Amino acid sequence: MLRSCLKRLAIGIGMLIALSMLVFVLLRLTPGDPIDAYIDPSTPLSPAAMADLRDRLGLDQPLPVQYIGWLQQALHGNFGYSIKRLDQPVLTLVLSRIGPTLLLMGSALIMAIVAGIAAGVIGAVRRNSVTDVSLSVLALAGISSPAFLSALLGLYIFAVRLGWLPSGGMLTPGEDFSLGDLLRHLILPSALLAVAQAALIMRYMRASLLEVLNQDYVRTARAKGVVEFWVIVKHALRNALLPVVTVIGSTIGLAIGGAIFIESVFNWPGMGLLLVDAVTTRDYPVIMGAALVIGACVIVVNLLTDIAYAVVDPRIKMG
Amino acid sequence: MRELFCLPAIALGAMMSITGVPILGGVAAPAAAATLSGGFDVGPGGFQGNFNPLAATAGLTWLSIYFEPLISYDEKLEKIVGVLASSYEVSPDQLTYTFKLADAKWHDGKAFTAKDAKFTIELAANAKTGSIFAARLKVLSAIETPDDHALVVKLSAPSASLLDTLTKIMVLPEHALAAVPADQLAKSTWWSTSPIGTGPFKFVKYVQDQYVELTANPDYRGGKPVLDRLINRYFANPASAISALRAGEIQFTYIDSNDVPTFKDDKSFRVIEGASFVVNYLGFNQDSPLWKDLRVRQAVMYALNRDAIIKSLYGGAAKPANCAYVAGQLVPEGIEAYPYDPAKAKQLLDEAGWNKINGDKPVTLLTYYNTPLATNVLAAVQAMLAQVGINVVPRAVDAPTYNGLVLKPDADASQFQLVYAGLQNGPDPSNINTGLNEKQIPPAGANVVRARMPDLTKALDAAIAETDVAKRHQRYQDVCKVMNKDLPWATMWVANRYGVVSSKVKDFIWTPAPGGGPYVAHPEAWKLSE
Repeated sequence: MLRSCLKRLAIGIGMLIALSMLVFVLLRLTPGDPIDAYIDPSTPLSPAAMADLRDRLGLDQPLPVQYIGWLQQALHGNFGYSIKRLDQPVLTLVLSRIGPTLLLMGSALIMAIVAGIAAGVIGAVRRNSVTDVSLSVLALAGISSPAFLSALLGLYIFAVRLGWLPSGGMLTPGEDFSLGDLLRHLILPSALLAVAQAALIMRYMRASLLEVLNQDYVRTARAKGVVEFWVIVKHALRNALLPVVTVIGSTIGLAIGGAIFIESVFNWPGMGLLLVDAVTTRDYPVIMGAALVIGACVIVVNLLTDIAYAVVDPRIKMG
Repeated sequence: MRELFCLPAIALGAMMSITGVPILGGVAAPAAAATLSGGFDVGPGGFQGNFNPLAATAGLTWLSIYFEPLISYDEKLEKIVGVLASSYEVSPDQLTYTFKLADAKWHDGKAFTAKDAKFTIELAANAKTGSIFAARLKVLSAIETPDDHALVVKLSAPSASLLDTLTKIMVLPEHALAAVPADQLAKSTWWSTSPIGTGPFKFVKYVQDQYVELTANPDYRGGKPVLDRLINRYFANPASAISALRAGEIQFTYIDSNDVPTFKDDKSFRVIEGASFVVNYLGFNQDSPLWKDLRVRQAVMYALNRDAIIKSLYGGAAKPANCAYVAGQLVPEGIEAYPYDPAKAKQLLDEAGWNKINGDKPVTLLTYYNTPLATNVLAAVQAMLAQVGINVVPRAVDAPTYNGLVLKPDADASQFQLVYAGLQNGPDPSNINTGLNEKQIPPAGANVVRARMPDLTKALDAAIAETDVAKRHQRYQDVCKVMNKDLPWATMWVANRYGVVSSKVKDFIWTPAPGGGPYVAHPEAWKLSE
């Protein structure tokens, strides 16, 4: 298992280099460079000043030279400085964003798993009841509503109309840190982020449990007189969870996409906010750094999913 | 089976324990009486995340609260007044500027002297610092400090825009920055951690991507500020800033004009309206064969019902422009007003042979304006031009893409046969030179429509070279007249821009200045009433 993990990690590093190359080329194919982004077209900067800036940032060199220069530095752990915020090294900037994003995505994921599995089990056990149908309709709505829409609606209802929760940010400006303050800011964005994931998990959980409940060994358990609760929790649920674990792994990618919207709407200082800002300002070093970190996360999470799969299902061997 | 009913309860309980439910009870307490929070860097004049005034292409409204320039515009952006310079004089030959400096202290208690001013201007003139002013300050020949309260700036040639440039240069403390090598200055963490200025508020801290906090400077030479704290909240999304304003978390933000109606009749808010100093135009790409004939360009002007667009889309808050200017002193009498006349437009197009030039083939119209308002404007323009037989296809891109396409020296004219754009036309009227002078065709300048009009270039050159302040307006009137006749652009209007402030905030001065100004806003007098 260790060997296969190491092998997967080595492949992952190769994928990261390929990713960096892809992002680099895509970025340079995008019209406009950081200097173009730096100036408002209605208050143009003198072109001499623009040329000075380009020259200092090394943007006038040929592409392969720029890429190899970047890669050499990156392999030594130096990802350069942000172009928009020259006083910020990319690595510090990107690393400082991982915590808030993990907090947001982690709490959203836990909420989604708990709510999704619970709702899925209820739906399967009380199949075709009113509860089941309403849960399914809710799940459909959850899956189909795009993050930017649900985020704005949630913001409007809970922060503006009801005034229950803050409208954005991670902490109340100007106040000392307190856990309660952090949680108060966290609940709305993470709950909204959890909606789509929970809905997806619920649908898989329901379908998978329904299938398992028709299996012979479940009938046998019931015939032996096992209490229904234990039939479901002990016999059916464990087997039904297998496909759901895979789905949870794959929703991480979905969550990253959703987090980008949620973070911009709620001004949550995470990777998504950083990345959106970096793309609109064509901040090449930051985009590269952020893309690599997100790429690394996805690779590691997929690896962890495979390990979890092997743990949950003894039939599966890694390697 | 029954046990299963408790599952939702378990799930809910788990969720609550994760998120810590008491939460719902404790709603954000209203900001303490003496703290004013706002989205000071929201909108086109803002620049979130930039702390270095030498690199500030915008965001000067905020930076000028803790830093100060030598001179600045008044709040109407009409005239230049002293800030750290209590007065200034310009020699008759326009080559020597003498500034008398105010008695001021840095936030760390050290005295501000002429040496700080000299140090700052030298940093701004040094391209190695990453200064965006370096090219504009090439005319400097010497800076002298006869005593601690006098600064003499000498030029090698007269410059009509030197004072305008100096309004944007925030004076920096020599004792704090002299040790930093010029090429490392932009990378210094000083800017976002411990900057000191001379302004009414002192820098406290910046919380990454969240907010900047300032505290009152009790030793401010203009008196101790009324407010205790100022907070500049960052918003990635303008809609979030409006939500925060409505939720009472902030008291001020910039808003787009289409959000104005929702605030206009609300007594808890005051809408602040100001000139944008940006003239919007449809630029005719002169590298495209479509616009060679003046009659075609005139036809576009006559085909556009600008009054209707201003009335229905801008709610009347824009002035139609018949050249780059709308300010009375810059517009001569008797220029053509190009009233809406589609019949005349069609006739002009027939005379010019538009059917042979292009006919109903699509004409690319590129813009960097992505707001809902701009989308509506372009839909109207498209419909109006279609009426006379010009088939434009608008394409909205982000600003870097726009710049990347139009500023390229070998730009592909077919990508932007027309542009819908804006150019700053004030408070210094010479700003439009870069967009229209033949010598400013990229890569030399930002003449993105590649206007090659000898009369216009001559008029612009004459206006820029005019050192006699009294005659300057006349020269810009000449520019206006040529533009109105030769039509390098179909000029549209100069629109107003808006901010919204809670009606609890008193004596608050704000104006939507291009790049955030700066202008004299007297933050020390801002107050909050209960």
